[in-house]
Amino acid sequence: MIEQLLQERLRSGPIHLGELVVREVEPGRFLIRHWKDDESQRKLAVGIDATAALEIVRYDEQGNYRALKGAPSLSTGWELRLESVSEVRQAIDYFYPGAFSTWLAFNRGEITPVDLRQTLTRQTGMYRVTQRLTGLQAEELAGRFCQSHSGCLRTILWTIDGKAPEKYLPRSKFDPQADQVAERHQKHSEDGREEDPPARLSSPKSYHVPFLCVEACNLFVAEARKIVKVHSK
Amino acid sequence: MSYLSRENSALVLVGHGSTINPDSSLPTFVHANEIRARRIFSEVHCAFWKEEPSLREVLRMVEAQDVYIVPNFISEGYFTAKVIPRELELNGPITIKNHRTLKYCDPVGNDPRMTDLLLHRAAEVACDAPPHDTSLVIVAHGTGLNENSAVAAKRQVAAIRDRGIYPEVVAAFMEEPPEISDWANLTTQSHVVVVPFFISDGLHSYQDIPVLLGIQNENSAPASQQEVFRHNPYALRNRKLYYAGAIGTDPMMADIILDTVDRFDKQHD
Repeated sequence: MIEQLLQERLRSGPIHLGELVVREVEPGRFLIRHWKDDESQRKLAVGIDATAALEIVRYDEQGNYRALKGAPSLSTGWELRLESVSEVRQAIDYFYPGAFSTWLAFNRGEITPVDLRQTLTRQTGMYRVTQRLTGLQAEELAGRFCQSHSGCLRTILWTIDGKAPEKYLPRSKFDPQADQVAERHQKHSEDGREEDPPARLSSPKSYHVPFLCVEACNLFVAEARKIVKVHSK
Repeated sequence: MSYLSRENSALVLVGHGSTINPDSSLPTFVHANEIRARRIFSEVHCAFWKEEPSLREVLRMVEAQDVYIVPNFISEGYFTAKVIPRELELNGPITIKNHRTLKYCDPVGNDPRMTDLLLHRAAEVACDAPPHDTSLVIVAHGTGLNENSAVAAKRQVAAIRDRGIYPEVVAAFMEEPPEISDWANLTTQSHVVVVPFFISDGLHSYQDIPVLLGIQNENSAPASQQEVFRHNPYALRNRKLYYAGAIGTDPMMADIILDTVDRFDKQHD
């Protein structure tokens, strides 16, 4: 069913997901590129199966390990030419795990976001101390760690003590309709930094799939632990 | 070997993963790809404690109503007994949830062929070391959080001793005694072969343990960023020391994962 819905969606036009553009170039033939390479004339390294994505997602352009899949640091200079929708789905799940299936579940009303308190309360072992993270510390952490500019491109659905962590994040960070890459570009522009404008902004036929964040991830919890440890000293 | 088709079932392979080391999750992905290519299950997914997809999100990726969950872990311990069941909301070997049957299998490290894999790694890395002059050290994580963590390594040591290949076989650990940093005092033979009882050549087995053995500086790069895997043997403390790769990267692991699923069905028929 997931593959069938992905196929139907691609028949209607390209999908923008995180930093990816996914399109069906002709029936049964698919192309995945970094959005910056979407209309690029430069020579791209070609991958012909989904597993090529495994290598692409591991390192950024500086060769740093990308532990967080939502980090806006996907390298450019490659394209995947795939010959089945199941390969496309597999590749998407390597780039942005579960993004498409979570989006479908969200549209069916089947997603129940998990409040950060629940996430922290169930931690054991070395992460048990995160239960001492205060609401303000959690807000600050979300503002720093989750922001789309250099943190993570996911759209936050979870709450802190019942409220969206809006203190240091823009409203768009919680809006599944908002494109976090475009939001990131806007932030860059405000900063006065040079960056190519996303072609997706001027492409009305494309379909945007958000990378939804239903529950604070383990990297967030690990950061919370560092904060609690520092403050307990 | 042929395996029973489970075309209406999904397989979820659970690994530890790492936020620091890029090689930690690789064996789990590689074995999942191998099993996916055999078309035994309708779907094969990976999930991780420290990487994505997380244990909390993986079940949203699964469509089958019958799901086998196999921990790609070397031993029963804190993660298999506590973390994985908690994160996946399992309440035993079989959990029925949202019209789905979740079947929680043993960790792959419980497979009887682990002993052969350890011996194979030892022979491969130290092909010039005479076994009768060699101490074999099986090094595992060990943790104060769960006493079972060290049990699997001790069980392997006993099984290897029974085969009578090496005059001395000992277990050593990172986080509990006897500690691997004390390897020279734990062994007596002129050749010492150390085999990590780990799934991947990740942070612990590739970066931490070599420092504890004294064969590497603190700042070594991950395995995938090195041109040469190791420079065995190392002349250290008047011994010849050999350090092997982790057993979880062996291609046989795909079969071991499938056997783990078969065993689950036999035990819960």
